Order: sequence, then structure tokens, then C-alpha cells
Amino acid sequence: MARVALEDLTKRYAGGNLAVDRLNLDIADGEFVCLVGPSGCGKTTALRMIAGLEDISSGRVRIGGKVVNLLPPRDRDIALVFQSYALYPHMSVYDNMAFGLQLRKTPKAQIEKAVREAARILDLERFLDRKPGQLSGGQRQRVALGRAIVREPAAFLMDEPLSNLDAKLRVQTRAEIARLHQRLEATMIYVTHDQVEAMTMADRIAVINEGVLQQVGTPKDLYEQPANRFVAGFIGSPAMNFVEAEVTQDGGGSRLLAEGLEVVLADAQAARLRDRGLRSVTVGVRPEHLHPGALEGPGLRLSASIDVVEFLGNDELIHAASGGRDVVAIVDADVRLAVGDRVVLSAAPRHVYLFDPDRDMSLTVR
Amino acid sequence: MAVAEAITQPAVARTRRLASRLRPSHLALNVVLGLVAVFWLVPTVSLLAISLRDPSTYGVTGWWTVFTAPTQLTLKNYEQLFSTGLATGGVLDSVVTTALITVPATVLVTVISSLAAYSLVFGRWRGRTAVFLLVVGLLVVPVQVALIPVAQLYDAFGHLTGFNPFGTLPGVVIFHVAFGLPFGIFLMRNFYTGIPKDLLEAGRIDGAGEWTLFRRVVLPLGLPAAASLAIFQFIWVWNDLLVGLVFLGGNAHHTLTIYLYSFTRTLANNYWVIATGGIISIIVPLIIFFAFQRYFVRGVLAGAVK
Ligand SMILES: Nc1ncnc2c1ncn2[C@@H]1O[C@H](COP(=O)(O)OP(=O)(O)OP(=O)(O)O)[C@@H](O)[C@H]1O
Ligand SMILES: [Mg+2]
Repeated sequence: MARVALEDLTKRYAGGNLAVDRLNLDIADGEFVCLVGPSGCGKTTALRMIAGLEDISSGRVRIGGKVVNLLPPRDRDIALVFQSYALYPHMSVYDNMAFGLQLRKTPKAQIEKAVREAARILDLERFLDRKPGQLSGGQRQRVALGRAIVREPAAFLMDEPLSNLDAKLRVQTRAEIARLHQRLEATMIYVTHDQVEAMTMADRIAVINEGVLQQVGTPKDLYEQPANRFVAGFIGSPAMNFVEAEVTQDGGGSRLLAEGLEVVLADAQAARLRDRGLRSVTVGVRPEHLHPGALEGPGLRLSASIDVVEFLGNDELIHAASGGRDVVAIVDADVRLAVGDRVVLSAAPRHVYLFDPDRDMSLTVR
Repeated sequence: MAVAEAITQPAVARTRRLASRLRPSHLALNVVLGLVAVFWLVPTVSLLAISLRDPSTYGVTGWWTVFTAPTQLTLKNYEQLFSTGLATGGVLDSVVTTALITVPATVLVTVISSLAAYSLVFGRWRGRTAVFLLVVGLLVVPVQVALIPVAQLYDAFGHLTGFNPFGTLPGVVIFHVAFGLPFGIFLMRNFYTGIPKDLLEAGRIDGAGEWTLFRRVVLPLGLPAAASLAIFQFIWVWNDLLVGLVFLGGNAHHTLTIYLYSFTRTLANNYWVIATGGIISIIVPLIIFFAFQRYFVRGVLAGAVK
């Protein structure tokens, strides 16, 4: 097990495409870090540079304190679980898992022990003699995990390992990987574009957009204190609502106004806006923080008419039109809202996020 | 109940299989395949029958009479052909000579094509596409065009090193290898492009070097293609007359095709030699075909990715 550090890691593909731009990330020994971001943001590229499958344009990768930039994959002591599984189709499940150890000239008895143990953990004992072609998707996925864990590498790298599984199996395997992490206490770098996966499994999440690291933090940090509009919109499901609003000063207080929206600012926030001299801001509020009914004092109020009501069981997901925008809210199913109703939705001041409309940086510091 | 079901199931499956074989489309297919088999088998069986009959019966009674009068079957012709043993110019000597050409030419083409295709598909050097296009271009060069230039090349090589490959077995092998490679590389390369790159990367992470990747991952997966290539190449070289005739010129040892050809030319009444020699020359490719046939497994890549 080892610490993995990325220092100004950069990848420029032939043709000039900057896929990863000065990525800095320090992953502690035994930590589970998720790299998340939309499709094409450079997650796979970053992972492949750590694994040694892709040349590094500039910057450094350290594994266990040692710079490994020039080491071939086999000397980096890492295991990679591919999105496509990449099992050897002509080998049995047993040989698929044993291959890496065989190449490292591990004694036979030791290989056998490691493979049986991995098979036991992953519930693959019955399939050891089968070929990958005779397994279901979920079983193949577990073989791919097994191939990684028998090696006891310094770090596990996983590239969207669950994306080929159906919803139920995905939840199940997610738990399996989390359990595996606790049991092995291994350093894991897990790539996904699914923020739910990241939120549920990671110790820390690194959000990447267009090759640039946006924010690193615990799932709670990212949810409660997104550094910018991108992170705010990416983390949390359904996504945060955003409204552009004008800053107006009247009497003692400041208010933010847009069609159908009014935000009464607390004094500290008003002062900060005044200091920056901003005329307009982007207001963000999460669907789960919007509640029907007006609210006195500071906070956000939004008047809207309901377009769609989706019943979720305990809650209802509401799509509403407010000043020509689509606003999403999650409300208690007991509230009984109907399509066409006009409602006022409000949110407490601590749930209102403000972003600089030009640089998209968060103006909300708590 | 469940037990009864389990017992009757194979029977049900059997009837269903029979039914599907009798469906009109399948019936037509089977008739066509049957006809093809007959067309292929009749000349072969007749050749075999002639080789097993006394030469004096040729032109007197038909070969098909062996079915009604099997007593006329005799190994006399074979005994006579083999009686010369390994003497130079005899049939066994030509079998050996042909094998000495065919086996190295086949092995070399299969091995070199596989390695070249590995490099063309999974290597990381510039100009791979250009080299491949060059290979494709070489596919259309006719053998006849190269006969004289290669002979001259051999000559020049002889002047330079003292060893002129012209008229020697290595000379023939080299020519066959050179002409087998473009097709071999083409075939193997096209097959290898179907192997997911992820598999090789997984291998690299598992600790494999290029050589191990080739031997443990790519070669086993490419076996069906390598087997087809080996069969094609073997049969092509085994049956070759032109290259052998030109490049073995002056050599006392002949290939089987040259041996047979010399009989058609000199002795009009030597049908039995041709039939017997023909059967000998057919037998070997047939053995090769059936030996390699089991490698034609479909779906070798099943379960690799996704
Ligand atoms: N071999 C390559 N040559 C040039 N550009 C590439 C290459 N591979 C990837 N890219 C580009 O680099 C960027 C990052 O790609 P990458 O595969 O890392 O994305 P990703 O975050 O893994 O996306 P996804 O979630 O879809 O897998 C993309 O814009 C992609 O088009
Ligand atoms: Mg990817």
C-alpha cells in the first residue's frame, strides 16, 4: 500500500488536445479517492498516466514517494480494473487471476492460496474453471476485481468499473468495492462520471472539468461548500437550480431580484457583495432545500407554477416554471401539489449559494 | 416429474434437431453440400482406385469396377514406387524434398507474419500504416514477374558470399517465404486488429513484456488465423510447380510436382505412376488440414470485454 501523489500532471495529446491540465492531487495511503467529471474531461487519461499506459507530457507521478514517470506499468506495482473488464478470453477464471502472479514468478502454492482467497471474497469459487465467455456481466466484473486484488498492489486504479452493469448489480458491486476497500485498507483511485457513486464510496472526491481540477474534498465538503458553479451543479442529484439575479440596494438591506425570484441577503453577505461591487450574481439553490410556503426575513423566495409532478414514494419531484426557467424541487409527498398550481418555494439563507457570474467562483464562504 | 422431464429432454432435442435438418432451407443446403462433396470425392476416389489397380487394367475396365470386384485391389503400384527407397529422383526422395521445402516455408511465413502483424497492430512506432499499405501493394505482384530478378539477385549474392542460393533448397524456401509474407501479414494483421487493446494493456499491468504478451495473449487468440494461414501456405507451397521448376534447376532432388510432371512428359503409358504419386501428394495436405482444423474455433474472443 502506498501514497500516490500527482504533481502538475499534464497530458497534451498529439494534435494539441490538452486532456489533463496541471493536475495536483495527494492521495494518502489507504485512501479511497474518486475522480469525477463529465464525459471527456480527462479522467481516464489521468488514470492511464498513473498506470503508465500513457506518456506523461509534463509533471510527475509519485507512488510511495518514488517518481515513476519513466517506469513501465509492470514496475509501478499498481492494478487497474478496466471499464471493459479486459479479461483474457482464452484463460480460465483461475488463470485470469493467477496470470499476474505467474509472471512475477510467485511460488505455485502461494498463487493458489491468493486466488482461492480472492475467489472466496468475491464469491467466484464455483466459476474458477470457466472461461470469461461463460460468465454473466457481473461475474466478469468480479473476476476483473479479483485479478486486481490477488496481486496486492500498492494502489488500485479503477476506470468506471460499474458502468456496464445494470442498476441493481451496480448498487451491489458498489457495496462490494466499498467492503473490499475497508478489508484491504488499500489506496484506491476510482474514476467515474456518476457523482452518486463518488458520493457513496469516496473518502475524498476530486472533481475535474475539461482537464482542470475544480475542487477536492470530502463528499460533505463538496456538497455543502462547492468552490464554483461547476462543482455545485455536478455534485448533488437532482442538480442545483441556478438563476441570474440583479443586486439591488434599498434602505439598510440588499436584495437579489429576478423575475419570480427574491433573495433577501443577510448582512454579512450583502457586505461582501458590496465590497466586490457586483451588479449581478448567480443564485444557486438545491432542489431538496426548496420548501413550499413563504418565509419571513432573509432567505430565498421563488414563485412558480407547477408543470410536472413525479411521485418518488416519500417525496415528490417537482418541475416548475418560474420566470421562464425550469426549477426543480423535492418536496414532501404529503404536501399534495397538483399540476398548474401556483406556489411559492422558499429556502433558508444557509442554503442559498451565490456565484460570481463572470468567473463562476463561489461567493458563499461559511 | 422433473426426473421424467430430464430423461425425455435429450430425445426431444434430437427430434427437434432432426426436424430442423429437414426444414426446406436446410434440406436445400444439405443437398448442395452433398453435391459439392460428390464432385470433390469422385475424382479423388477414382484416382485412389486407379492407384490400387493393376496397370494392365487401365483402359480395359473402368475404375468403378473395384466396387463390384474388390479382389482386383492391389498395393503393387505403391510397392513398385517405394521400391527405389530414398534413391535420388525416386518418389520418396521427392516427398522428402517437398517436405524440406514446405515445412520451413510454412513455419517461417506463419511465425514471421504473426510477429510482423503484432508489431504493426500493437507496436508504437511511426509509419505503421505506410508499411502495411506497402505490404498490401505487394499482394498483387505476380510470381512470374519476380522469377528473373530473384534469380539474378541470388546470382549476385553468390558472387558476393560464395553461396548462390539458386538451385538449392534454401533458395526455393526463401522465394516461397518472400511470396507468402504479404498475404500472411495481411491476414494476421486484420485478425489482430480485432483483439481489444485493453487486453494487452491489462497484460502489461499484470507484468508482461512484449514477448510474453505475444506468446501468452496474442498468439493463443490469433490461433485460428495462424492455422488458416499455415494451411493455405502449406498447400500452396506443397502444390507449387513453377517456383520449384525454376529455382531447383540443376538440382538432382525434385519436388513431388516435378516428379509427376516428368512422368506426364516422358511416358505416355504411365497413368498408374501419376495416380499413385498423385495420391501420395494429396495425402499430406489432407493430414495437415485435418490436424489444424480443430483450431478453427469460433468466438475465441467471447467474454474478453464488456
Ligand atoms: N488517444 C487520444 N488522442 C487524442 N485525444 C484523446 C485521446 N484519448 C482521449 N483523448 C481526448 O482527451 C480528452 C479526455 O479523454 P478521456 O478519455 O480521459 O475522458 P474521460 O474523462 O475518461 O471521459 P469518459 O467519461 O467519457 O470516459 C477527450 O477530449 C478525448 O477526446
Ligand atoms: Mg473514461
